[in-house]
Amino acid sequence: MSYKKKLALLLVALVATLGLSACGGSDSGEDTVSGTFEVLPAAPAGYDNLSGEAKLTRADGGTTTTIDLSGLEPDTEYMAHLHTGGCDGAEPGGPHFKFNPSGSEEPPNEIHLSFKSNGDGSDKAEASSDKEVPLGEAGSVVLHLADGHEQMAALFVHGGEDHGDDQAGDDHGDQSHHGDESQQGEAEPDQEQSDKIACAELEGASAEAAVPTIEVRNGEPVGGIQELEFSAGEEIRFKVEGDEAEEIHVHGYDLMKDIPAGGGSVEFAFPAEIEGIFEAELEGQGVQIAELRVNP
Amino acid sequence: MSWLPLAHALAARQDLPVPAWLFAWGASIVLIVSFFALAAAWRKPRFERQHWRALGAGFSRAAVSMPVQAVCGLVGVTLLGVAVYAGLRGTEAPDRNFALTFFFVTTWLGFPFFSALLGDIFRPFNPWRAFGRVAGGAFRLVAGQRPAHLAYPERLGRWPAAVGLLAVVWLEIVYGSSGGVAVGLDPHAAGVAALVYSGYTLAMMALFGVETWCERGEVFSVYFGMFSRLGAFGVEDGRLGRRRMLSASTSWATIPGSAAVVIASIATTSFDGAQEGAFKGAIESVFESLADAGLGLNTALRLTDTIFIALCFAGVALVYLLGVRGMRTVQGAPSLAKLRDGFAHTLIPIALAYLVAHYFSLFVFQEQAQFGYLLSDPLGTATTDLFGTANSGIDFTLLSANAIWYVQVGALVFGHVLGLVLAHDRAVAYWSDYRQAARSQYWMLAVMVAFTCFGLYLLSVSNG
Repeated sequence: MSYKKKLALLLVALVATLGLSACGGSDSGEDTVSGTFEVLPAAPAGYDNLSGEAKLTRADGGTTTTIDLSGLEPDTEYMAHLHTGGCDGAEPGGPHFKFNPSGSEEPPNEIHLSFKSNGDGSDKAEASSDKEVPLGEAGSVVLHLADGHEQMAALFVHGGEDHGDDQAGDDHGDQSHHGDESQQGEAEPDQEQSDKIACAELEGASAEAAVPTIEVRNGEPVGGIQELEFSAGEEIRFKVEGDEAEEIHVHGYDLMKDIPAGGGSVEFAFPAEIEGIFEAELEGQGVQIAELRVNP
Repeated sequence: MSWLPLAHALAARQDLPVPAWLFAWGASIVLIVSFFALAAAWRKPRFERQHWRALGAGFSRAAVSMPVQAVCGLVGVTLLGVAVYAGLRGTEAPDRNFALTFFFVTTWLGFPFFSALLGDIFRPFNPWRAFGRVAGGAFRLVAGQRPAHLAYPERLGRWPAAVGLLAVVWLEIVYGSSGGVAVGLDPHAAGVAALVYSGYTLAMMALFGVETWCERGEVFSVYFGMFSRLGAFGVEDGRLGRRRMLSASTSWATIPGSAAVVIASIATTSFDGAQEGAFKGAIESVFESLADAGLGLNTALRLTDTIFIALCFAGVALVYLLGVRGMRTVQGAPSLAKLRDGFAHTLIPIALAYLVAHYFSLFVFQEQAQFGYLLSDPLGTATTDLFGTANSGIDFTLLSANAIWYVQVGALVFGHVLGLVLAHDRAVAYWSDYRQAARSQYWMLAVMVAFTCFGLYLLSVSNG
C-alpha cells in the first residue's frame, strides 16, 4: 500500500470518528416543567387581568427559570420566587425553594426573579442557576410586589423575631400581622391583604406527583418490574404499596423496610450515592419488584 | 411467567450500559487503530522467541523450590477444603457463603486477571496437582517404582479442557434455576460439584499422569495457564525468569483443541453478557415456545440457555474459521490446520479483554466481601468471626460508573491491539513474502474488529 493510500485511509477513519462522536454528543437530557399564573384570592386589587406563564428548564446541570407576564401595573417593581409547594392551601407556594436547605435566603441558594414592568404592564424575566433543581422540589413560582415584600421583612425585624429563621416563619408573619392591618381600612395603599399576587403551579413537579409508587399484589409487582431512573446525587424516592406483610429490600444500598401485616405502604428516600443498576425485591419471596438505575 | 428476572446471586449491583457516545468513541478508536495496524512496519517476527532470562540467581530458584511449592500446594488444598465445607455446611444465601464467591469470583476471575500479569500462579496452588504429586510420591515410596500411566491420546489434546470450561460456566449460570427463573447455583450444589470435579480430576491424573493432565485436560490449569502466556514471567528449568511480553503465547496452541479453549472463553463471556441484554428477547421467546411444548419450566430454561451457549460457541468459532479460511486464499499460505492452530493464540488477549470488560467491577466489589465478611464467617451462619471482619460490607462507591466504563472500553481496545500485534507477528513468521503476509492480515483484522465491536455492542446494550 502506498503512502498516499494509507493517508487517505487514515483520513477516512478520522472523519468516521468525528461523525460518530458528533452523533453521540447530541444526547444531552433536558426537561421542562411549566405552569400558568393564577391570581390568588387574597391578592391586592387591580390584577384581574393578570395572565402569564412560568417555566423551569433543567439542562446541562443548570436550571433556567423564566416568567412571561401581562396585566401588571405599569412601571412597578415585582419579585417572583421559586417555592417548593403547590398553589392551593393557606400558604400559596409554601416555603421558598433552597438548594441547600440550611443555607442562605438569597440567590444563588434561592431562585429569585426581580423585575420592573414595562409601560404597558407586561414583562419577561429570567433567572439562571448553575445547579439542577430536583424536579420534585420545584412546586410553584409566586409573584409578589417588590415593595410589599421588603416591607414585610422590615415588619419582622421590628417584631423582634429572628429573621434568620426559615422562610416559613416569614410567611406566617405575613398573615398574622398583615391580616390585622388590612381590617383598618382599604384606603391606605400600603396595606394590602397580601403582597402575593399570583401563583403558577409547575406541572408534574409537585412533590406528591414525583414519588413513584410500586404496587404489589399477591406477591407480584402490578404491571411487571418497575424501572426507576435517577441521577447520582439526587434523592431516590419511591413508595411501595403492598397487600400483605413483606420486607422490601433495596440491593446495593442494602436498605430494608417492612410492610405491616394486612398491607400498607412504605416510602424509601435516600441519596443516590452509588451508580449502577440495583434490584428492589420482596425479600421473603425473592421476587424482584423494581429496577433502580442510578446514572452518573 | 412472562419474564426472566435477572438473578445474579452474588451481584447486588450491576453495571450501567456504556453510553452511546462512549460506544462511538470506542468503535472509532478501534477503526483507527486497525488502519494503523495495516501499516504495521515490522517484517521479522518478534514474539516467536521468548528471550527468557532468569531473575536474580538465588531468587529464581527459591521462588519455585520444593518447600515453596509444598506450602502453596497446602494453601490450595486447604482453601478448596474450606470452600467445599462451606458449600456443604454453610448458609444457602449465595452472597453470604464463602464457596460461591471463592469459586466463581476469586478463583475463576482472579486467576485470569493476575496470571496475565504475574505468570502461571495457579500451578503451584493447584490443589489437585499438589494432591496428585503427593499421591505419586507415596506410590513410589510404597511400590518402589514410578506409577505407570496410559499414553494420552494426542488428538484429544485440550478438548477435555474446552468442554470442561463450557461445563463450569454452564453450572455457574445455567444449572441453578427454580420455577423457570435463573437463580444461580446454590452453595450446596457448588460444594458437591467441586467434590465431583476433584474425583474426576484425580482419576484422570492417575490414568494419564499429573503433568500431562494439567497441560491438557484439567480445566483450571489449562484456562488460567492460557492467560499466563501473555505475561512476562515464566518458569524454565526450575527457575523463574523474565521473558518478552506476549512471546510465550505463540507456542501455546501447539496442542490440538487449544483453539476450542479460547473460543469457549469468548463464547461463554459473550453469553453471560448478552443473556439479559442483547439476547434477552430471543432467549425469552425460545424459552416460551419450549415451555409451551410441554417441557417443565426448569428444563425449558436450562435447555434454552444451553442452546444459546452452543450458538455463541458456534458463532465465535465460525467468525474465527472464516478468517482462517480467508487467510488460506492468500498466496503462499500454509495448510488450513496450521493456520487454524497457528492463530488461535491471537484470540487470548481478546478473551482476557472480554473478561475484564464484563467482570472487572464484580471482581472489585465482590473481593471486598471475600476478604471481609466471607473470610471471617465462611459459613455465613454468624457463628465465627475469625479475623474480626464478619460485619464488614462492600463499599459500592469505590468505582464510579464512568471509571467502570473507561476500564471496559479501554480493555477491549487494548485487547484488540494486542490481538492485532500477535496476528501480524505470526503472519510475518508464516509468509516468506512480506506483502502476502500483510494481505493475509486483512482477514484477521476483520475477525478482530468483529469481536471487539461485538464486545462493545454487548456492553452498550441496556440490560433492562
